[in-house]
Amino acid sequence: MSLPSFEVVRPRTLEGALEELERHGPDAQMIAGGTDLVPSLKQGLFSPRVLVDLKGVRELDFIRFDREAGLELGALTTITRLAQSPVVAEYFPVLQAAAKTVASPLLRNMGTLGGNLCLDTRCLYYNQSAFWRESLGYCLKKEGTVCHVAPGSSVCWAVFSGDTAPALMTLAATVRLASPRGEREIPLRELYVNDGWVRLTKRHDEILTAVRIPLSSAGWKGTYKKLRIRNSIDYPLAGVAVAMRWASDGVCQDVRIALTAVNPAPRLVEAAARLKGKRYDPSLVDEVAHEAIRTAKPLRTSASTMEYRRHMVRVFVRRALNEVWANGPHC
Amino acid sequence: MNKENIRLRVNKRDYQLEIAPNRLLLDVLRQDLGLTGSKRGCDDSSCGACTVLVDGEPQMACLMLAVSYQDCEITTIEGIACEGQLEPLQRAFCDEGGAQCGYCTPGMILTARHLLAHNPRPTDQEINEALSGNLCRCTGYVQIIASVRKAIELLEKQESGVAAAGQGG
Amino acid sequence: MGETTTQSSPIGARVPMVDAVDKVTGAGKYADDLTLPGMLVGKILHSPHAHARIRSMDTSAAERLPGVRAVVTGAETPVKYGILPVGHDETIFCVDKVRYIGDNVAAVAAESEAIAEHALRLIRVDYEVLPAYFDPEQSMQAETNLIHDDRPHNIEREYHHHFGNVEEGFAQADYIRQDRFDCPEVTHAALEPHSTLARYDAEDGTLTVWSSTQVPYYLKKTLAATLQMPEEKVRVIKPLVGGGFGGKSEVIPLELAAAVLARKAGAPVKITYTREEVFLANRGRPRQIVELKTGVTRQGKLTAVEARIIQDGGAYCGYGVVTILYSGQLLNAMYDIPNVKFDGYRVLTNKPACGAMRGHGTVNTRFAFEQQLNRIASVLGLDPVEIRRRNLLHPPCVTLNNLRVLSYGYPECIDRVVERSGWKEKYGKLPYGKGIGFAGSHYVSGAANPIIRSAMPQSTVNLSVDRQGGVTIFTGASEIGQGSDTVQVQVVAAELGLPLEQVRIVAADTARTPVDLGSYSSRVTFMAGNAAIAAARDAKRRMLQAVARAYGVAEEDLLMEGGRVLGRNGCPLSLTLAEAARLAAGPAGVLTARGSYNTPEESRGGTFKGAGVGPSPAYSYSAQAVEVTVDPETGRVTVDRIVVAHDCGKAINPMNVEGQVIGSVWMGLGQALQEVVDYENGRIKNAGLLEYRTASTLESPPVETILVESNDPEGPFGAKEAGEGSLAATIPALTHAIYDAVGVWIDTLPVTPERILRALQEKQQAEWKSPGTGARM
Ligand SMILES: Cc1cc2nc3c(=O)[nH]c(=O)nc-3n(C[C@H](O)[C@H](O)[C@H](O)COP(=O)(O)OP(=O)(O)OC[C@H]3O[C@@H](n4cnc5c(N)ncnc54)[C@H](O)[C@@H]3O)c2cc1C
Ligand code: FES
Ligand code: FES
Repeated sequence: MSLPSFEVVRPRTLEGALEELERHGPDAQMIAGGTDLVPSLKQGLFSPRVLVDLKGVRELDFIRFDREAGLELGALTTITRLAQSPVVAEYFPVLQAAAKTVASPLLRNMGTLGGNLCLDTRCLYYNQSAFWRESLGYCLKKEGTVCHVAPGSSVCWAVFSGDTAPALMTLAATVRLASPRGEREIPLRELYVNDGWVRLTKRHDEILTAVRIPLSSAGWKGTYKKLRIRNSIDYPLAGVAVAMRWASDGVCQDVRIALTAVNPAPRLVEAAARLKGKRYDPSLVDEVAHEAIRTAKPLRTSASTMEYRRHMVRVFVRRALNEVWANGPHC
Repeated sequence: MNKENIRLRVNKRDYQLEIAPNRLLLDVLRQDLGLTGSKRGCDDSSCGACTVLVDGEPQMACLMLAVSYQDCEITTIEGIACEGQLEPLQRAFCDEGGAQCGYCTPGMILTARHLLAHNPRPTDQEINEALSGNLCRCTGYVQIIASVRKAIELLEKQESGVAAAGQGG
Repeated sequence: MGETTTQSSPIGARVPMVDAVDKVTGAGKYADDLTLPGMLVGKILHSPHAHARIRSMDTSAAERLPGVRAVVTGAETPVKYGILPVGHDETIFCVDKVRYIGDNVAAVAAESEAIAEHALRLIRVDYEVLPAYFDPEQSMQAETNLIHDDRPHNIEREYHHHFGNVEEGFAQADYIRQDRFDCPEVTHAALEPHSTLARYDAEDGTLTVWSSTQVPYYLKKTLAATLQMPEEKVRVIKPLVGGGFGGKSEVIPLELAAAVLARKAGAPVKITYTREEVFLANRGRPRQIVELKTGVTRQGKLTAVEARIIQDGGAYCGYGVVTILYSGQLLNAMYDIPNVKFDGYRVLTNKPACGAMRGHGTVNTRFAFEQQLNRIASVLGLDPVEIRRRNLLHPPCVTLNNLRVLSYGYPECIDRVVERSGWKEKYGKLPYGKGIGFAGSHYVSGAANPIIRSAMPQSTVNLSVDRQGGVTIFTGASEIGQGSDTVQVQVVAAELGLPLEQVRIVAADTARTPVDLGSYSSRVTFMAGNAAIAAARDAKRRMLQAVARAYGVAEEDLLMEGGRVLGRNGCPLSLTLAEAARLAAGPAGVLTARGSYNTPEESRGGTFKGAGVGPSPAYSYSAQAVEVTVDPETGRVTVDRIVVAHDCGKAINPMNVEGQVIGSVWMGLGQALQEVVDYENGRIKNAGLLEYRTASTLESPPVETILVESNDPEGPFGAKEAGEGSLAATIPALTHAIYDAVGVWIDTLPVTPERILRALQEKQQAEWKSPGTGARM
């Protein structure tokens, strides 16, 4: 499988990268670790004329913890660095838990946080070779008109399958986007669009430069549960991130629950709010876990059945809440 | 497509090459440099047979655009035997049945090498974790884990040998 | 090789494989590692339709593309082939019809991969799409649009065997059980994708092919037939092979395509499959539906077994006729079953052809049988181990269907597993969610009858002893990672009393090595091993004779030991092997010897239709206990421990035997829990290693192996099969453990968490309806 022809430009600075993006316009595509993009290039899912290789932009590779600004993670931070960071482990356990489950050790050595957040959406009818997709007549997401998991649908149901995004959403993270027009910072949740084809609100020439987690999220208990068939080298079939802050008496002060791999975008579970101000109560946990299913709309986009993935969302929400809450205040 | 003149440093040797920018490092190693020890087992970057060390860290050459890795020290399986002597991991994979068909072996050895460099006395769980990005279809991994264990033993012996020699001298 | 000195025998020594160093240094060459000057890249055009008539094809634009050096299509290559003489239904490229998504339509040789891929896109094919068949039970009803015109109802082959009298047997039974098992398709997924390099020399009309094959000999014959060349002009060389498991045990389309392209282009051509193409070439284990009926007495003695088996073979025969026969024939040779009936159907569908995969034909039947036996034991309140002990064979014996069993380590396998696993303390006694299961399996040590019937020995080995006493083995046997080369070196070294270092091996090059039929049906250690021993004995005899003649002593007064020829019975002679070899070489200047192996007549089975498949000179046996944890809320299974005992006759190299046994168990585990070739309308949805999901280290449990040595009277040093027989038992032992853990039986593979949850739900509903039924029933 040969790659399409393209040029590779290798800027050394953010400014240089932005210039390249401006120069090449829609013909350009960014590449960081390449762990998502390169297999897709082989399958003919993209055909950029220019690849802007961000790996040389070292200024985007950092982890900074500041007592005022909170935690700042450069987009080029590898998932391995993220998973091994003592600061992340100590203050943002949900993020560490999620990072540790990404792909495999080798892929974590290459894959970056920016790439993980900007991951293309996935579907069994899309992540296939050109031969395969042609033989089926293509799909809504690429070159075709029909969504094979939901025929008749006008939106694409390919799922967002990144692991760190839901964790970061539970921490109220924001992302910084730089473009030739300047910089903006938006809540991470607003980066995503719940349509597998549109996927991101980020514009084509915007570089995700950094992720910021507010100090107010530091120290939240948290965990990440991931459904997969193989315990390594497997995208999530469903993922649940939970982060919670409780008072010394065990009353939940704040909590966020986010789901991944069950929608075209990672999503926060609104029902989590019901836990606020409450003491640990298994039936309340059950109720929220049950409600969480409403936020999950998995279709036949990956292995495993929709029913099972929804069932597991429920089980995971309950288990995650129990893990961070039930045992906490009492021990 | 224009070709680029690039410099690659592989196994402590510098190469000047003229290649198209869409060439993967795996193909350049195998086709242009004749270093066929790095294998291709898949097209979806899942198997780890193509593992090489990039500045000492295991990464997958089937994902790497060669033009983007000019500033790195790349080590392939061909670069680790020292003066024709098998290194302990290689010896151990021979002696403990760690290589059946051998197709996953270069990747396994390089990944294990990185592990032992950073964690000389890993638990079985740590070995399993570290090797979980390299697929093997022959061994069920049992003898691979045993090989890594054996390598640790050999390394320890080597070290205590060196220490003893140091004391003696 | 510390342990091997000239004193200790290399038999039973844990020595590294002879090619281990090449593998750990990366120096060893696999097919895709090879290059030749001027080499072109070959690419194959595959059918996008599952079933269609080719109306016309236009390759002119592809031919005109700069850099394209040859384009070939079916019209130029119409000769039919197939691994079985009764199954010649393939052509290199489709001539009139395509029969599955992925079928081979044309091929291109070009100066680069990108050009070749581009050229494929320029080939225009006009198809008339036909109705297609994907489900075997539906396909069997077909009247029109048959996949092959000469196969009515799309049935490739059916067999109806009846031994004893099952009606009578069932009449004697106190309990009869009937179940339906459904085992979907799985595939080899060897880590090395198939690759072939071909060179045609127009000057002398010779073809040389380097290929990732388990069967160089059959490949050579098929190349000659399909390219219409004299066989002696074809040479096949097998470099290192990165795993086979049966996926390289018949001729694979790329091997022929590369050769045709090389001849047409006048330049060497290499084709290496993409991983997706490996899935499309397939030859995996077919989906198999087993309807099984077993009768037993109250004491658990089997009275009759009746099996109706349907295999979904895909679009071509491949090994299919053999696969379906194995699935029935090897119901036997494990237990003493007085009455057996078998109705087997090998059905064609519009999917990639299935073939031989590790445990060929036996695995899914064995799963069904062992699972049913465990279900019966639980209904009758018998210990699952005990019910097996009550149905053992009493060898030496010949089964109802004429399988001769001489060595039978199964009882010992059972005992040892029971002991090591703590079976008695655990079965039925672990807390809810934890369980242990038990099962057995067996396999042939090589098919007693060759694929192409002839008087030619199944394996021949040449041996030369040079003037310095160095020995070289020339063997056709194919090392594919299983240790074939090593075992031959070991037996020859043992026979001649030499250190291993003194024995070299040249293997699997049809121009240099004599015929061995190939690496399939676990035949190599037994057959090539015996041939190698025979060759070594021939060399020894020649040397002893020469020494006896030269020194005027009696041959009986000489022996070979520790690399020397020594006198005994008072004869003081002592010569080095080199001296003996020089004497034996005599005026010819070199000592050559040869040996061969053919299966004994008595091992070749009966005469009924289909009797040829199943017979083997010896059978291996395996017993296993699998321990699991099942999370009843998620359905997730964790395998905690596996204890396996394998009767390999004699472990010539225990390390390699253990490696083979563990690998088999592990592959069985994959089939049981997570592997499946997932089709939708004939299209594979998971044709890659990411989505096919062979296990990583993290799901791979410790496997404890016990080697049982029953010393087969005909095996080389007593050895038998080691590389396949343990696979089958893992699946029913695992499902049994799940039953022990949470009380549900799963009869459909793979045992996904969903299936377990569904079964748990159904069980709960049933219990609500009829309170009082015990949890463990
Ligand atoms: C076999 C396999 C298994 C995997 N399993 C998982 C898994 O379990 N969980 C998981 O989360 N991921 C998984 N991945 C995907 C991937 O490895 C990670 O998500 C990784 O973090 C992606 O980062 P990258 O730098 O490699 O992305 P790239 O491939 O370089 O980029 C991905 C996308 O993001 C864009 N992009 C990258 N950086 C930026 C930036 N700074 N600003 C704007 N756009 C940017 C690129 O243009 C591209 O479209 C898997 C990949 C493979 C091959
Ligand atoms: S070749 Fe399989 S991961 Fe690189
Ligand atoms: S030894 Fe064959 S794939 Fe690992």
